[in-house]
Amino acid sequence: GPNPIYITDMLTPWDIVNIEYLCFHFLTFVCLFVCLFVCVFTAVCVAGYAPSHNEILELRLPLKLFADENKGLCAERDFKVAHGGFTDGPVRCLKHVPGTRCVVTNDGRSSDLQLWDLGGDDSGTFHQESERVESGSRIAARLSSPPRVLHGARSSDVRLSELTSGRTLYTLEADSADPLTSLQFVSDSVFLAGCCNGSVYVADTRTPDAPQLSPPPASSASSALWWTDASEGLSTCRLVRLSSSGRAVMSDLRKLGGAVSQAQLEVQSRRCDLGDVTVSWAPALDDCVAVSGFSGVVQIFDTSLWRSELQEARPLFVHRGHTVSSPPEDGVPVLVTHHVWHPELPRTLLSAASDGSVHVWDWVNQSAASS
Amino acid sequence: MPEIKVTPLGAGQDVGRSCILVSIGGKNIMLDCGMHMGYNDDRRFPDFSYITQNGRLTEFLDCVIISHFHLDHCGALPFMSEMVGYDGPIYMTHPTKAICPILLEDFRKITVDKKGETNFFTSQMIKDCMKKVVPLNLHQTVQVDDELEIKAYYAGHVLGAAMVHIKVGSESVVYTGDYNMTPDRHLGAAWIDKCRPDILISESTYATTIRDSKRCRERDFLKKVHESIERGGKVLIPVFALGRAQELCILLETFWERMNLKAPIYFSTGLTEKANHYYKLFITWTNQKIRKTFVQRNMFEFKHIKPFDRSYADNPGPMVVFATPGMLHAGQSLQIFKKWAGNEKNMVIMPGYCVQGTIGHKILNGQRKLEMEGRATLDVKLQVEYMSFSAHADAKGIMQLIRMAEPRNMLLVHGEGAKMVFLKGKIEQEFSIDCYMPANGETATVTTNPSVPVDISLNLLKREMALGGPLPDPKKPRTMHGTLIMKENSLKLVSSEQALKELGLNEHQLRFTCRVQLQDPHSDTDTLHRVYTHLKSVLKGYTIQHLPDGTVMVESIVIKVSSSAEDPNTKVLLLSGVIRTRTWGVFFQPC
Repeated sequence: GPNPIYITDMLTPWDIVNIEYLCFHFLTFVCLFVCLFVCVFTAVCVAGYAPSHNEILELRLPLKLFADENKGLCAERDFKVAHGGFTDGPVRCLKHVPGTRCVVTNDGRSSDLQLWDLGGDDSGTFHQESERVESGSRIAARLSSPPRVLHGARSSDVRLSELTSGRTLYTLEADSADPLTSLQFVSDSVFLAGCCNGSVYVADTRTPDAPQLSPPPASSASSALWWTDASEGLSTCRLVRLSSSGRAVMSDLRKLGGAVSQAQLEVQSRRCDLGDVTVSWAPALDDCVAVSGFSGVVQIFDTSLWRSELQEARPLFVHRGHTVSSPPEDGVPVLVTHHVWHPELPRTLLSAASDGSVHVWDWVNQSAASS
Repeated sequence: MPEIKVTPLGAGQDVGRSCILVSIGGKNIMLDCGMHMGYNDDRRFPDFSYITQNGRLTEFLDCVIISHFHLDHCGALPFMSEMVGYDGPIYMTHPTKAICPILLEDFRKITVDKKGETNFFTSQMIKDCMKKVVPLNLHQTVQVDDELEIKAYYAGHVLGAAMVHIKVGSESVVYTGDYNMTPDRHLGAAWIDKCRPDILISESTYATTIRDSKRCRERDFLKKVHESIERGGKVLIPVFALGRAQELCILLETFWERMNLKAPIYFSTGLTEKANHYYKLFITWTNQKIRKTFVQRNMFEFKHIKPFDRSYADNPGPMVVFATPGMLHAGQSLQIFKKWAGNEKNMVIMPGYCVQGTIGHKILNGQRKLEMEGRATLDVKLQVEYMSFSAHADAKGIMQLIRMAEPRNMLLVHGEGAKMVFLKGKIEQEFSIDCYMPANGETATVTTNPSVPVDISLNLLKREMALGGPLPDPKKPRTMHGTLIMKENSLKLVSSEQALKELGLNEHQLRFTCRVQLQDPHSDTDTLHRVYTHLKSVLKGYTIQHLPDGTVMVESIVIKVSSSAEDPNTKVLLLSGVIRTRTWGVFFQPC
């Protein structure tokens, strides 16, 4: 019969205690896995898959996000579907190619990359000859002309390819063939390839020289998985490495061997897969790092509080919205699948979870004297 | 082929005014009759000239159905029925019938009295129009005439909103009006059974939108109220009456309790009276399927919310007041607004759309100086907020409804065509049905494949089964033979013999003969034998007999040989048989 009305779902503590921060939430059509990328200031690309179909959407972010706090007049809270497309396989990795209207995706089953023209149809697939890897390719892109994409699933198959021709411009000469958990440019030509065992390759696409290899952080358990993110500071470039047990190590890119500081993060550790965890530096905020994938929350940490001795670090802020947004089905807890920082709004993040929910939120540093 | 035609009326691609014409099984139905709020001239009314160039609409329409009381769905109804002219039945649910005239009258007052317009319907016209209304109950089939039947389903959205199922013979259409697929605090979600209509017609105004969740909007609402209260400000919330107001009351009450807040919350008495009246309506409307917890609760038994007295508006300190009417165009909410507008610590939260010409509309458009009666100007310094809680179906909701009703075709109205290509693709891909998107004034024609139920006689069925072979499969239909008898209102499939018997006719057989000439010097008997041998060798698999009476039989065809009178070497073969399903040919070669 028809759904009964209920009044019983009163406000949760999350609703009441944390109302200071702005949050938009929506449930995508029917998606189980969502990966995000903010492609331009006002839009986000969201990909999702469900048993029956897979799709990519380009969404315009709610206008209210950009509205002046004091005006508050009629600014919309809704997301608009600008474009949408269907994909054959799931989307496991999605990256925007700067300077273009293109997005590159990988389905996690092979190292094939799909190239998408937003606003148009799938304009083609190009692939490299390399063996199939379960986790699929990581992708990184930098503004360049003509557009180029760095990709690879293992340290042994990292290549820089020209987008239109598929021509290989550079190959990483690595000794090992470890699965990658990150691939990232830190300048126009210098990039990092983070392996799941915690080692990091630093290489320059302009030279054929052997890359620098930074070994895993000291006393890393052989079973631990590591995820990496590098920040691009004006004067420094810092690297944060996070293990599946919650240990975070920060080093300076110029001196990769030594650790600058470390911390034991308060995360709910669980058995993770390679693609589960995301750690990311805030692009417009000093010293802040966001962590997700261990559970249904996204946590923000202040790395300036970390020391050389391993100590516990409490988060600056925890976004719990995904844990209350929909009732858990079959007792399976919701997991945050991905998050990104907004490139310009300093405190705005986007996060997606396994129930298909996507949140855009603006956190408030509650420990700060004034917000 | 039978077809259903759907035409959304109106000029241009404007959204915000619903009026859809459906032609089904020879019946013409008008779905909703809304007003466009953005225009001040005739463009605000639907273009009825599509139905007829001049004269009344009564003979062209079998009925009119109104989905709910929002003005963009019923605002043009008195104009249509009284000024253009329609005397047939107008169907709507009981709550819609109760609330419509009030909203229409309010709207009329604003348009005529405040804005001084002339070509508009009068109060008497509203009354006359409502006399033509036939109220509907949920899930009850109503016979409009002996061929057309309609049934209302729960749509959520607002009190009394319905989705309607329209059936003529074996063809059917479902029109959704505005609906909501996520349950509200006081209204459930839309629900319909797997009625498998030929067409499901849905609004797609928000089809390219993904709505921010209710929870987040509510958080935002609480945040705004809290901020104002904390700085000692007063918050005015103009509301219509039932529904949203009560929901916001419940929200605030819970919040106040949790946060241990002390500032007073009031609702105005005008609100109480109206609310109680609608509450009673609400009980009758929702009594059937709604959980009793809501029904049992007395609407105004709040701990933190008290009835308002107009003297309270001058009390110092923070407070929250719910007052009617909703668009600040008159009455108590306007009075309170005038008192509080000058203080920037205060806030007004508009919970919905405001019609042009009202103060609500003006301040939402940023106007900061208002002209009041007697040439006085009012400086608007308080904070103006807009919180839209009204729930429309977005893309996700549309998909959910399709999954529920399982229509054979989908039709979306009032969307921005170019932008909906993705949604159309999604619907077609996921459900393998066609999706139509006619523009206003454009007709979509949907071919239906109505099934005609026929009875079959047991004998015929047994005979077909006795023929053996695989049982019939929906994917591989098997041809069968019978005679269709149409008598009175029934259709029956029987065997030929039974049909003949019923008709009192005798069966006749048609027997065909043909003559073939051969040159053969042998005797008649020998020729016959040679024919027999030849046929036996070339027609393998057929029953061929040489009978003692001097004939050869191939299946049921009889062959006789005789000599021509003029020339004994010319033999004539006489072939005769009854026509059966197989064509029969003759295989002869010179031998």
